[in-house]
Amino acid sequence: MASSSSTASTEEASTSQPEKKEETKQKKEDDGEESDKESDEKMFECNICLDTAKDAVVSYCGHLFCWPCLYQWLETRPNRQSCPVCKAAISRDKCIPLYGRGGSGKDPRSKIPPRPPPTRTEQTDNGRFSWGSNEGNGGFHMSFGIGAFPFGFFASAFNFGAPGTAPAGANFMTPQQIEEQEFLSKVFIWVALIFIVWLMLA
Amino acid sequence: MAQNVSPRSGFGGSRKTNEGVSGGSKDTHSVSKRLHSELMTLMMKGDKGISAFPDGDNIFKWIGTIHGPEETVFSGLTFKLSLEFPSGYPYTPPSVKFISPCFHPNVDTAGNICLDILKDKWSALLDVRTILISIQSLLSEPNIESPLNTKAAQMWKNQETYRKHLTEVVHKNSN
Repeated sequence: MASSSSTASTEEASTSQPEKKEETKQKKEDDGEESDKESDEKMFECNICLDTAKDAVVSYCGHLFCWPCLYQWLETRPNRQSCPVCKAAISRDKCIPLYGRGGSGKDPRSKIPPRPPPTRTEQTDNGRFSWGSNEGNGGFHMSFGIGAFPFGFFASAFNFGAPGTAPAGANFMTPQQIEEQEFLSKVFIWVALIFIVWLMLA
Repeated sequence: MAQNVSPRSGFGGSRKTNEGVSGGSKDTHSVSKRLHSELMTLMMKGDKGISAFPDGDNIFKWIGTIHGPEETVFSGLTFKLSLEFPSGYPYTPPSVKFISPCFHPNVDTAGNICLDILKDKWSALLDVRTILISIQSLLSEPNIESPLNTKAAQMWKNQETYRKHLTEVVHKNSN
C-alpha cells in the first residue's frame, strides 16, 4: 500500500511538474508577446514626431513618417530635401502612402497638412494689378483695337461675365478683391463709353 | 484706390492670422509631446556617461551632463550643457552650449560648439540622446581642421600637455 501511494504521489508530482513547466512557458510567451507588441508599436512610429504614424507615408528608402511631419520637414529645407533617417534624396513624389485596414483610403499627400507654413504666393498673384491679364479670375478681357475695326474694343470691353457668376479663381478671392474687380469693370465700362462717344463726335 | 489696399488686410487676412495662432499653439503642444517622449527614452535606455533633464518646469530648456570619454584626456571630467529647443523643433536644431568650461578645439570660450549636426547636417530624427552622444564622441575625436579654439587645436598634438592644461583649467574653475 505504501508503495502504491508513493507511486501515486510521484505520479501526481510528475503530472504537476509539466503543468508548472507549461505555466512558466505560458508566462514566457506572454512576456514575449508583450515585448513584441511594444516593438511592433515602435515599428510604426513616425521618425519625426516619435508617435504612431498618422496619415503614414513611407519613403523610397523605406522610412516611415506621418505625412504632416514629413511635409513640414521638406518645407523647412526646400533646396536640399533629404530623408531625416538616411539622408537619401527624397521629395513629395518619392514616397508612398500607406493604407491600413482602418484608414480612409485617401492619399494622405492630397490632404493639406494640418499646420502648413504660411504661404502667401497665391495672394500676391491675385493682388497684382495686371492690365489685360486673363488668368481666369478677371472676368473681363481688354484689348485696344483702334484701327480697321474700332468696335472690336466695344465688343471686348463688354465681354465680362454676367455679374454674380463666380469666376474660376473665386475660391482664392476675398470679398475685398471681388469688390475691387467690380469697381475695375465699372471703370472700364465708363472708359469704353467715353471712347465711343468721342468716336461718334470726331 | 481700392487696389492699393493690401488684400491681406481684408477679411481673408484676419482669418489667416487666426489660423496661424491656433497652429502655433498646436505646434508648441507637439514639440512638448516629442520632448516628453525623448525624456522617457533617455531615462529608459540609461546610457552610460550621458544624462539630461528639463531645467525646472520649462520643457523647452534642458540641462545635459556628459562624462568625459574613458581613455581620453577628458576621462574623469564631467561637463554640463544647456539645450534650448526652438518652437520649430525638431525641424530646426536646438541650440546647445557648454555651461562648464570646456577646453576643446571645436568649442569656443563662450561654450559654443562647432558641430555639423547642430547646424546644416541637422536631421529631425536626432534627439537629445543622440546629440549628447555625438558631443561626447566629438570630445575624443576633435576636428582639428576647423577649430574654434586654435590654442586647443595646437595643443591637441601633445596629449600630455593637453591633459595637464585641462586639469589645471578645470581645477581652477571648479575650486
